[in-house]
Amino acid sequence: MADSTPPPPADDQSPPPPPPQSHTGSPTDFLKGVVGKRVIVRLTSGVDYRGTTSLLSCLDGYMNIALEQTEEHVNGVVTNRYGDAFIRGNNVLYISAAEAL
Amino acid sequence: MDPSSGIQEPFDLIRLSLSERVFVKLRGDREITGILHAYDGHMNLILSDVEETIMLVDVVDGVAEGEVKVAKRKMEMLFVRGDGVILVSPPSRT
Repeated sequence: MADSTPPPPADDQSPPPPPPQSHTGSPTDFLKGVVGKRVIVRLTSGVDYRGTTSLLSCLDGYMNIALEQTEEHVNGVVTNRYGDAFIRGNNVLYISAAEAL
Repeated sequence: MDPSSGIQEPFDLIRLSLSERVFVKLRGDREITGILHAYDGHMNLILSDVEETIMLVDVVDGVAEGEVKVAKRKMEMLFVRGDGVILVSPPSRT
């Protein structure tokens, strides 16, 4: 077991460069940044929640989401409007920022 | 933080809707409205005075037809298992 470790790399030069520092951040940073912003939420079923005033009020560790003033789009057609909406996190495919963070 | 309402986490939206009529979108093209009596962290729900709307899409030779039939039924009291819940919308508080 002890001698099964691979030999150290012959190259003992500098470690790999750090990732660029510009606009990177963890997924958690993104989710923190998107609170209070306009978003597009897509569910695994293909339904979108969006709108010119569709705000993400808050979210939690399950990715449950509270949206304000949102429109439900199915195949690009508005099918419903909600003043407030709670989306259960397991249905979420992605959250897209619809304005600069 | 949301200055317009006292909501810090998504479940606050549900808590503020207790005893109110809510709209619930469920898996399987079902929607229900009812008065929310209780919920838990799974989004299991207890609703009363419930109307369920079931969208029945005609499928002919594996292709969904344009026409959608709607079936409705009413129930006095209903327990909804949380994993079927897609969306809950409280009455508008504006």
